Amino acid sequence: MTDPIATLEIESGASTRRWPIRVVVHLLTFAAVLAVWVVASNQGWVSERILPPPAEVLESWWNLASKGILADHLGVTLWEVFAGFVIGAAGGFIIAVVASFWADFRSVVWPYMVALQVTPRVAIAPLLFIWLGFGALPKIVLAATICFFPVLINSLTGLMLVDEEADQLFRSLGATRSQRFFRLALPGALPVIFAGLKTSISLALIGAIVGEFVSAQEGLGLLIQRFSFQLNTSAAYAVLLTLTVIGLVLYGLMELADRWIVYWNRDDRLHHRTEHAASKHAAALIRISKNQ
Amino acid sequence: MGKSRPLEDLRPRTSGQTDCVIANNVSKSFGSVVAVDQVSFAIPNGYFSALLGPSGCGKSTLLRMVAGLIPFEGSLTLHEQPVEGPRPEVGMMFQTPTLLPWRSALENVLLPAVIRGRDEDDRERALHYLHLVGLKDREFAYPKHLSGGMQQRVSLARLLMTGADVLLLDEPFGALDEFTRERLNIELLRIHAEVEATTMFVTHSISEAVFLADEILVMTPGPGRLAGVVKAPFDRPRDIDLMRTPEFTDTVFAVREMLGATI
Repeated sequence: MTDPIATLEIESGASTRRWPIRVVVHLLTFAAVLAVWVVASNQGWVSERILPPPAEVLESWWNLASKGILADHLGVTLWEVFAGFVIGAAGGFIIAVVASFWADFRSVVWPYMVALQVTPRVAIAPLLFIWLGFGALPKIVLAATICFFPVLINSLTGLMLVDEEADQLFRSLGATRSQRFFRLALPGALPVIFAGLKTSISLALIGAIVGEFVSAQEGLGLLIQRFSFQLNTSAAYAVLLTLTVIGLVLYGLMELADRWIVYWNRDDRLHHRTEHAASKHAAALIRISKNQ
Repeated sequence: MGKSRPLEDLRPRTSGQTDCVIANNVSKSFGSVVAVDQVSFAIPNGYFSALLGPSGCGKSTLLRMVAGLIPFEGSLTLHEQPVEGPRPEVGMMFQTPTLLPWRSALENVLLPAVIRGRDEDDRERALHYLHLVGLKDREFAYPKHLSGGMQQRVSLARLLMTGADVLLLDEPFGALDEFTRERLNIELLRIHAEVEATTMFVTHSISEAVFLADEILVMTPGPGRLAGVVKAPFDRPRDIDLMRTPEFTDTVFAVREMLGATI
């Protein structure tokens, strides 16, 4: 499974440009979008019902934020996203590990995994409320079932990708099964696993919000729904923008974790590690040169 | 060809005492395809022998059998004990460097020690081997920042790190350019002499085989059989000038003729 946002970044060539220019381009684009928005609502091109002016959205946001309403509901939604993501991702990863070791398990369980994936999880939501009540639990489970598959398929793909000769090398060195897993298969799979995790974290947010749409007493999904029913568009936009920011932050955190853990795909991190090791072992190097 | 072709009739030797690897009617099939068919040979201790043949003649398969990586029929002994699985005294090197991209050159060389559960103590020995294969100043570089030739040097240092006295090399420099390959071959000979290891070297280059080896096991394709053994009894240490001598050319042609007779 590819990572759509990362692909977009590469295709847009943003990473090849120097950063001051990049920042300026982004700021200008943002200003232009904002300007069109302001003009469109001031000139009455679109009804305020559909697109309220930015100032009004900001005011609504400040209203919600200063009364602590936003923070309360945000906390609920974030908890559902976090718990759903952890459960779904961990479940997907563990099943992938078992399946990578055990071909029979793979062939027996696989059809059910695919069936789960092709069933629209949103359609399960009403049933989840029958099974699990009306608290946070059905939302967490919904988020988890949506998160689960990208991590499962990416982990399994990554773990099965082990280079044949590298595996023979490990066996010829007398490596145990667990050494072959932890020192060869797992690190090799990490880049692919992280692509799955990045997809999943965004999906977890969708799962939690959809769950709140179906039935909720609290959460950002509930707020959006309530404001929409009240035709309070500016408040709905304020919540929506909050969700966008949350989505970006969650994705950004996964991206950071990816860069940190999968350091070998990044030249700057590799150079840094090389220099660090060289200075750390400088004394040993001198000792060896003297002996030679 | 000359009257005194350095050919030798092939029967399993019986001496045993000084032989390192002895194969007796070794066969391997993958499904209905016979990859290696009734191959017998013996390689004396400390010998450098080349396993030569066209692609698909089963020479890599044969090497993996000696390494204990794949099951087979027939009998195969190493240091007078039957081959039943991977052994610590056997080291392998492949056509691809098979380096772990998340480990630096030094950490890759340390891998055999790590797998055997002692990494820290061996760091200086690993650095020594990296210097031996000509990678001074690149000890901490990651594979991504090393050229193909340098990566294969790291792989060679890792092989030395195993402390193996039986080296199994599967076209180790086959993917490199001619110049790098020649240089690494000369270094390989130097290392072979230094560690006094028994070496089996798979290649499909006749001149490479004759240049490196004490004897060349010539294999035929589909199913892989042993056509015969050609001796290359040139003095060591060898250098590239050896290739200019008529004896070298004679040996190359003897091998060529044996290959020609079997294809």
